[in-house]
Formats: sequence, structure tokens, C-alpha cells
Amino acid sequence: MTTAAQVRDDIPRISLMWLLIAQALVIIPHLLHVPLWLIGVWLGCAAWRVQVFRMRWPFPNAWVKAALMIGSGFAVYLSRGGLVGLDAAVALLITAFILKLLEVRTRRDALVLIFLGFFTVVTSYLFADSLLAALYSLLPVLALLAALVGLQQSGFAREPLAPLKLASKLLAQAIPLMLLLFVLFPRLEPLWSLPQPKDKGTTGLSSSMTPGDLAELGQSAALAFRARFDGAIPAQSQLYWRALTLPNFDGRSWSISERFERSEPQWQAQGESISYSIIMQPSTQPWLFSLDVGSSEQEDIRLMSDFRLQRRTPVNRTYQYQATSWPQALRQPQLNQRQQQEFLQLPRTGNQQTRDWAQRLRGQYHDDDALVSALLRHFNQELYHYTLKPPLLGRDSVDEFLFSSLRGFCAHYAGAMVFTLRAAGIPARVVAGYQGGEINQAGQFVQVRQFDAHAWVEYWQRGQGWRSVDPTFEVAPERIERGLQEALQDESELFQGDIFSPLRYQHIAWVNQLRMSWENLNHSWQTKILGYQRDSQQAWLKQWFGKVDWQVLGLTLVASAALIIALIVLWMFKPWQRQTDPVQRVLNHFQRVLRRRGFKRETGEGLRDFYQRIHQQLPQSQQQAVRVFIETYEQQQYAEQGQDLATLRRALAQVKK
Amino acid sequence: MRTQLEACIHAVNQVILGKEHAVRLAMTCLLARGHLLIEDLPGMGKTTLSHALAQVLGLSYQRIQFTSDLLPGDILGTSVFDRETGQFIFHPGPVFTELLLADEINRATPKSQSALLEAMEEGQVTIEGATRPLPEPFFVIATQNPVSQGGTFNLPESQLDRFLMRLSLGYPSAAAERQLLQGAARRQLLTQLQPLIERADLLAAQQQVSDVRASEALISYILRLVEATRTHAQLAFGLSPRGSLALLAAAKAWAFLAGRDYVIPEDVQVVLPVVVGHRLREQNSASGVGSSAVVQSLLTDVPAL
Repeated sequence: MTTAAQVRDDIPRISLMWLLIAQALVIIPHLLHVPLWLIGVWLGCAAWRVQVFRMRWPFPNAWVKAALMIGSGFAVYLSRGGLVGLDAAVALLITAFILKLLEVRTRRDALVLIFLGFFTVVTSYLFADSLLAALYSLLPVLALLAALVGLQQSGFAREPLAPLKLASKLLAQAIPLMLLLFVLFPRLEPLWSLPQPKDKGTTGLSSSMTPGDLAELGQSAALAFRARFDGAIPAQSQLYWRALTLPNFDGRSWSISERFERSEPQWQAQGESISYSIIMQPSTQPWLFSLDVGSSEQEDIRLMSDFRLQRRTPVNRTYQYQATSWPQALRQPQLNQRQQQEFLQLPRTGNQQTRDWAQRLRGQYHDDDALVSALLRHFNQELYHYTLKPPLLGRDSVDEFLFSSLRGFCAHYAGAMVFTLRAAGIPARVVAGYQGGEINQAGQFVQVRQFDAHAWVEYWQRGQGWRSVDPTFEVAPERIERGLQEALQDESELFQGDIFSPLRYQHIAWVNQLRMSWENLNHSWQTKILGYQRDSQQAWLKQWFGKVDWQVLGLTLVASAALIIALIVLWMFKPWQRQTDPVQRVLNHFQRVLRRRGFKRETGEGLRDFYQRIHQQLPQSQQQAVRVFIETYEQQQYAEQGQDLATLRRALAQVKK
Repeated sequence: MRTQLEACIHAVNQVILGKEHAVRLAMTCLLARGHLLIEDLPGMGKTTLSHALAQVLGLSYQRIQFTSDLLPGDILGTSVFDRETGQFIFHPGPVFTELLLADEINRATPKSQSALLEAMEEGQVTIEGATRPLPEPFFVIATQNPVSQGGTFNLPESQLDRFLMRLSLGYPSAAAERQLLQGAARRQLLTQLQPLIERADLLAAQQQVSDVRASEALISYILRLVEATRTHAQLAFGLSPRGSLALLAAAKAWAFLAGRDYVIPEDVQVVLPVVVGHRLREQNSASGVGSSAVVQSLLTDVPAL
């Protein structure tokens, strides 16, 4: 039995429709990281709710609801391995968001659902903060607003688009306020830090390198970082972005040493410096990227003893920093015995063939530099082949690579070379980082992707310090000079997994142009919008207000907000327009249009008389339009055929043509 | 029904030459259940017009020639003692008709003029204590000579107000007059006129006229006009509410004749001079009633929309 009060409190049909649309829009961006069975749950719940609305099915009773709740919670537990952590929490939130649909009986319940929806939209920013994601989130917000508007309508409203129109208006009116808050609202440090979602930072350099790892990176076109140079962009072959050094070798993998953390690096700046700023994607690691030898004045960045820049905390969100590099600097001209030992460390056994070869080379070349040159020449002249699909290597991986397979990528070459150098008694280490990048001419920045990951070699000489060499350059110079994509033109497997990747279509000029512009836009988004954090906000405010006083700022914020709201109110109500009747306003507009054409209606003149007077002078095409407008006006104003402003405006638009 | 009315107008126009607008206004007045005052010099066709209207509409027709010695009883009727029955028997006067022509109404004394008063407003007459209804429809067409002529009594304002319209026929155009002179005698033409509309249809038309829509915007226009008459510097007094009702009724009838079921400002403007002309008096006019100049200024100065 339904009482009148119940009917009044039911959710209007249109609102329910918008609620369902909004829910779908809210959930869509989360599909990338929530378990997929949630789609099924949503479809089921939505269908159920629609059936309830059609009075075919009843609302679920308490037992069913409890079973659904416990079942979904358990399913989240199973598919996410727990209920703690961002992933699981968001999955739970969305599950609750979906199940709540079955509980929505009254308008009050719908309000809860709508506000829950707004919150869920916000959580999607934890997973994606790109320009597209931000723009997309306007869609669910719009749909939620439409649902909210529809909720206030009667159940008999028949215009499904009317709430959307009003919602768009509301959203448009909120934009100035949003901009104001964005610019002026104080950026507070978070009180607690959120754990990062699992799927973030899975691509990127790791602290160890087993040949094979870097090949995985090679397949990923995900962005690593962007660099904007203050001066000219150096040649691509100069862009060796150091991330970390891997001095420890256990026979299979190269890994970092914890010992660097404590000692201060010794170096002397020489030659010219290069300044640049880098915006890096979250990597969940503390190390940053820089050209050799980099330094930064940012207080939470320090230069480690292996000349990498490191941040105090891991980079969990997009991070921007400024750095200066001296490419010709002299690095650590002195090493003590213990340090030298560390860079000569090799496993006790294994790869005997390589060790023997190293001893032979040592016998041939007494000068270290000559030995290095000979090694590089070896890579250059023998039949080594650069590929991202090297054969699997067995126990003595270096031996197998150097003497039988001859196929590999930078990790193989760098690893093998360092092994050989160490076996020959020259301190050496593997450096991991990125090489090159794509130069975006439109935005004057370099864009480095995960497939630009690279490994190269540094060897040490007394008095001259560390020197960098790149064996991969000897094997595949095009990899260094023009980038990985050039080097692997034959290997069609690159980007094969992703036919939508614009990188696949680089040879089409306009696609490439479009992609570059898009990257440029993204870069601006990263620097100007996401990068507008506490520091840049303060700098900006200083520039405009002289000093930053939070009191003044607060007052400015409130005053500007009041001003904006007042302007919107003025614009909406237009008190200067004495004519409050919208039909009359349209008529005034009509008269203005005709007056501009030299036809003025007299005060006491009716529209028919007016038309009679002027229609001879009107061009044929306008006669019709003017007559239609006058007839429409007459119909609406005098024949009481119902006011329909839209029709009248359309008629006016015809006159204006 | 409208075609029948148009046919009536057309037929009258065959008799009254070159006065299409006045004839149409007269028809409008009848449709709006109003009474018509035709003011003009003698010999301008006032009587012919009223007679022709009665003929084509198929109404019973009586004519009273107003003179200075006319008594109210001559209009309303009297009770006469019947010797055979020994009772007073009422002899209805000429007012018991559907179309009454009160010819030269301003020649009668005010007492006789006001005898028409109740009849025109109430559609009934009270004689010797008994109230008798008049037939339906009931129209009065009064004619009068301009007041400047000798031997006339001005109609009192209360009496004037009871006429929906005051028309003036005016001299015919040369062409119309030529046609008049060359054509058959009017009197003969009048007898040839046939009723062109059923009484029921006429009553229905009157009903439809009152159903014509007057929108909010149109009422606002009428109110603006009325307000303007009341604040106009040159006018001694403005329109009464009866005046504004008359304006609306006349405008509705005009719109109906124009084939619309709603009123537009132009309808009001057409009937405005004839509806309000005799209800207004200019401030510094000693005797004259109304002023076409002031009415014209209403038409041009009051915003129509």
C-alpha cells in the first residue's frame, strides 16, 4: 500500500535515470583498478532498482541485503587480498556505492547516494591525475548534479534533459569560484600520507637489473619524466639521464649498494653547466633523474656519493624539481682501497671464459683506456646484435652472451662490459637510467618514456675519476642517436600490444604533430596546474600581492568569492532590465533588430499594424521571418496558446539572419 | 456564422454606400450587446442604416421619433381601462421590440430620454410597479443631431455612458454619392432586403463574442489606456469601469468579426475612438463631449505592447 506521502517522497523517474547514468560514469574510470566482477554487480543492482521502480520487484529485504553486503565484502577481500590499502578501500567504496542503490527508497536516500558519488569521483584522482581524467570527471559530476536537480522535480516531470541543462548552468557558474579557490586556497600539507595504489610505479627502474628487466620497460610507452631546458636542448646522444648505479653483481643481477648513502661525493665543476627542470611521474622510488653531474638547490634533494640525485622521500606523486648539471665535471678523482675493492667485486666463480678473455686483454693492453677502447671496438666489430628479444641465458650468462648468443640489449652489453673490466682489474660499475627522449619542438621539452630506459658503463681511473662509456652505442649507434624506436624498426613487436598507441603511427606526420601538441598540453597541465603547489603558489602570490600574509589571503579569498557570487546573481537576475517578462524581453530584442535596420515601431502601434506599415520595404526573405515572429508572438501573448520561449527565440533567430 | 454576418454587412453596404467601416462598427456594437448612438447631421443616412440593420438581421423593428413633447408613456406603453373586462390592460409601447430606433433622441426632454435608461441597461422596463422583460436581443440605435443645432437637449452623461459606441457617418465620398444619386431609391432598396441570419445564430454569435479570449497582456493594454484617460491633463475625467468593460466588449466583437478568437491591441485601437469618444470630456470644453484629438493621442502615446 502506498500512501500519498510515500508517492510524494518517491524518487522521480528522471532523477533515477540520471542517478543510474551518473553511477555508470562514476564507476567507469575506476574499472582500470577495481575487480571486474563489480560491473556485473552494478548491472544487477541497476536492473533490480529499475524493476523496483516499475513495481515489478520488491526492494530486497534485510536478509538479502546482509547477504549481498557480506558477499561483496568477501569478494573484495578475495580479489584484493585484504581489506586494507587504497585499492581494496576504493573497491569497497564502489561496492557500497553500488549496493546502496538497492536501498534508495526516498529522496533522502538518493541524496546520500549522490553525495557518495561525488566522493567516489574524488577518489578517482588518486589513480589518475592527467588532463583527460580531470576533464572526464566533469561528466559524472554533471550527471550527479542532474540527478540532484531531478530529485527536486515532481514525479510527473517529462523533460529528461531539463535537469541536465540546469546542471550545466550550475557547473558553469561554479567555474569562476573553482578558479578562485584553485589560485588562492592555501595548499595544506596532508596530515597523513595515503598509501599508493598498487598499479602505480610498477613500471620504472628498479633497484636491481637482471638482463630481461629492461626489456619489459622497453615495451612500455608510459611516461617517465619530462625535462625542460633553460637553454638549448643538448643533442640526443648527450642525454644520459642517470638514475642510480648498480655496483653489486651476484652472478646474475646487478644491484645497488647501500653504502653510498652515507659518504659525500667528491667532484669539481668544470666546463659549462646546463639548467633544466624535470617533472617526473610517480615512481615510488626516491631517486631522481639528472644529467651528469647534477645538483639541485631544493632542500629535500641531495647528491649521493654515486652522483645520483635523491629525494628524502619516495616520489609518490608527480614531482617537479630544478637541477643544474656540469657534464664535464671531474668526478671522484681519488678512491680509497676499500672503495676500489668494491668496484672490482665479482662472484668468486662463474663466467670463467670471460675472466680468461679479460686477462688476455690485460696482457695485450697495459693502459686502461686502451683496454676500454679495445673492448668497445670488440662490441663494434664482432657480430653483436641489438634486440629486445634476446635468447634466455643460462648459468654463466656473461659467457653465453659474449661468446655464443651475441644478442642482447643495453643491460647485456653494460653488464658484460663491467664484468670484463672488473675481471681485468679496472674499477667499474653499471649505471641505470634513461637515454635520450623525444624532443617536443612545440613545447621545447624532452619527453622520456619508460622504453628509453638504458644502462651504460662507468670505469674509474686514478686522477681522472669516473668516465662514462656506452657499449650499446658501439653495437647500435642509432639507439643512442635517434632513440629506441629507430633502432628497433625491424622488430615489429614494439608497441604491438597497443594498437591505439599513437607511437605506432609516428610515420604519419599529422598524427605525430597531433601527438606532440597533446604532449605539450599535458606538459602544461603538469607544470601549471598539478605543479601549482605550495611553493609556486607562494611565489605567484608574492609576485602579485607583494607579501603573503595568510590573513590577507583569507580576506581576499572571501571577498573575491563574494564578488563572484554577486556577479553571478546580478547576471542571473539582471535588475537593470526593467522588463521582467521574458516574452517582452524577446520582443524588445526583436524591435532592436528591426530598429537597426531602420524600422521603428511606434509606441502605440500594434505589431500587425507595424508589419502592415513596413512589410513593403522589407526584403522578401525577411518578410516571412518577421511575419512568423509576429504571429508567434501574437499566438503566445494574446491567443494564450501557452508560452514557449524557445519557439519565440527561434523565430527571432530567423529574423536576425 | 461569421460568413452570415459578413453577408449581412455586405447587404447593408449595398444600401449605405461608402460607409463600410461605420457599418462594420455598428455590427460590432450589436454583437457586443451594446447600444449605438449615431450622431450626425440630418439626412446622412442614420435612419436608413438602422433600418437596414434590422432588416438583414431579421429583427422586429420599431421607431420612435423623439420630439420635445414626447412622454415616457409614449415609449414604454400605458395601461388602458378595458370597459368590457373592467380591468386595466397594458398596451406595450414601441420599446417592446428587438431593434428600437430612437430618432433624434436629443430633441426630447430629459424626462423622456431617461425613460429609455432602464430599458437600455437592464433589458427590462418597469411600468406602474410591474417589471416587464424586453425581448432578446434588444438593441437601441439612437440618432441625434449635433448639439449645436437648435431645439435640442444634451444627453446627460449617465445616458451617454449607456451607449457602447457613438458613431458618426459623415459625408459620403464623391464616388459613393454619385452612385447614390444614380441608383434606385433607398427606401425601395430597404424593402428588398431579406433577413440573412437566424435569430438563434445571432444570439449564438453574441455568446461566442463574449467567449473571445482577452489575454493578460491585452487586459494590461486596456488598463494602460484607461489609466491614461484618468491621468490625462486635458481630460476633465477619465473612463469609468463601465467604459473599460465596454472597450473590452467592443474589441472582442471586432476580433470576432475579424475571424479571431482572441483580442489583439489592434482590435482595441479600432474601437477605441467610437467607444470612449462620448465618455470623455475635455477640460476646457464648455459643452462639447469628447475629443477626437485626445483619443488620437491615446492611440499614439500609450504603449501598445
